[in-house]
Amino acid sequence: MVTFLQSLIDGVTIGSAYALLALGFTLIFGVLRRLNLAYGSSILVGAFAGAAVFAQWKAGGWAVAAATLAAAVAAGVYVERLCFWAMRKGAAIASMVSSFAVWMQLEEFLALLFPGRTLSFPPLVERSVFELGPFQFRTEYVAMLAIATLLVVALEWTMRATRFGLAVRAVTEHPEAARAMGVPVARIAFWAFVLASAIGGAAAYLMASAEEQVTLHSGMQLTFTGLIAMMIGGIGSLRGAVAGGLVLGVVETLVQAHFGATAREIAAFGLLFLLLVLRPGGLLAQDFAVREAAALRRV
Amino acid sequence: MLEVSDIVTSYGKIEALKGVSLEVEPGKITCLLGPNGAGKTTLMMTVAGILKPRRGSVRFEGRDLAGQAPRRIVEAGIALVPENRLVFPNMTVAENLAAGAFTRSDGAGIAEDMERMYARFPRLKERSTQAAGTLSGGEQQMLAVARALMVRPKLLLMDEPSVGLAPLVVEEIFRIIRDLNRDGTTIFLVEQNAHMALQVAHHFYLLELGKVTFSGAPGQLAEAEVIQRAYLGSKKTQ
Repeated sequence: MVTFLQSLIDGVTIGSAYALLALGFTLIFGVLRRLNLAYGSSILVGAFAGAAVFAQWKAGGWAVAAATLAAAVAAGVYVERLCFWAMRKGAAIASMVSSFAVWMQLEEFLALLFPGRTLSFPPLVERSVFELGPFQFRTEYVAMLAIATLLVVALEWTMRATRFGLAVRAVTEHPEAARAMGVPVARIAFWAFVLASAIGGAAAYLMASAEEQVTLHSGMQLTFTGLIAMMIGGIGSLRGAVAGGLVLGVVETLVQAHFGATAREIAAFGLLFLLLVLRPGGLLAQDFAVREAAALRRV
Repeated sequence: MLEVSDIVTSYGKIEALKGVSLEVEPGKITCLLGPNGAGKTTLMMTVAGILKPRRGSVRFEGRDLAGQAPRRIVEAGIALVPENRLVFPNMTVAENLAAGAFTRSDGAGIAEDMERMYARFPRLKERSTQAAGTLSGGEQQMLAVARALMVRPKLLLMDEPSVGLAPLVVEEIFRIIRDLNRDGTTIFLVEQNAHMALQVAHHFYLLELGKVTFSGAPGQLAEAEVIQRAYLGSKKTQ
């Protein structure tokens, strides 16, 4: 029982970072209705920039975090201009395919720039373990959970209480109606992309600083983790993304505790498969597809 | 007030509007009737700035708005109640109204107008914290109207407000249209329900296959013929 609860705690912690990844994915998908496959690689550019700043100047946590976020946003803007803004309305497949191309491009770029392919990353807080009753807590994971929770709450507030958030939600639900009300849809999409890249950058920073390293393989892992967590939660729902991230984190950790690290790799896909069979719309399913069809039929 | 002249709007190579000209007089209810595919919604979207016309002008109070961004058009005083209502289903009623006021930045004025909407539509007030997707069809239509009114438009464009609603609810919607007009809002209405539309319209146009084929007051054309042409199109143009 203690092992189970310990896994649950660890799972929620890593799941909080997954939730951030899924939130970035969901924001972009919600506003643009297009899949951004370059998401993981663009935030990996951020993590490598952070690692480079650390390697060069032995900079502290804040400077590394700032570099990570800035580079992730810059790479995100590059992806947005190239694969989304430049594509014609309705060319969703063109966006997806070109974002796949940019994914490869960014990874090659990083491989050329950093031939070692693995860089060390500074920890967020000094590594130590403390005990609370029968449970063990690692300080870096506690910090991760705290920061991720703060960011999720801040995002939720932005979406509920600001004009920008209102516009993002309106565009997500009915772009045509939002446009008719004077919401500048393209500009909102751009800033949603910037926000998503910053959130993704924060997730990459938290995960890299917990592992104290960043490798080139992480790009694909980041993309798939974010994508799977989004699909588990229900495409297009921000709360679903948080739920999906947490569930994925818990399931992965539980599977690893009972069946080992190899099984963990399979767990995410197994969970996705199970969910797509039992509840195709995701945990917090939205009737997006239905509404979308009704709205588009007339236009 | 609104003068549309010789508007051509196309989807790719298909011309949906082939040189449409019409006029909406201030203080009146003007109605556009016509069969499916005649281009009624295309015209509404063109006036609202969502579609760009290939040719022609849309003059509103003397200014040409053709091809302007929707934001400019909203600021000029034109608001659209879109076809199928398109309320934001996962946002609350209050948030839908706030979204309607997106182009405004006067917080106090927005709050005041929201109260005016609640006074006009008490049922929206009762449901102000409810997700719009949980409202009935008629309530959603009221919300779509209230949302458009949040910018205090001089001209309200309504695209098929009666579609998919029960007959009693349709009557209520038309009562609202008449009330709004009496309170000074000019209304340009697209309808399939010719019978109801002819009861409120001061003037109406028939649009068939992208062209205006009749312009006149209700009564100038026998209702049976209007209905025939509004649903099926006339033999001439087919």
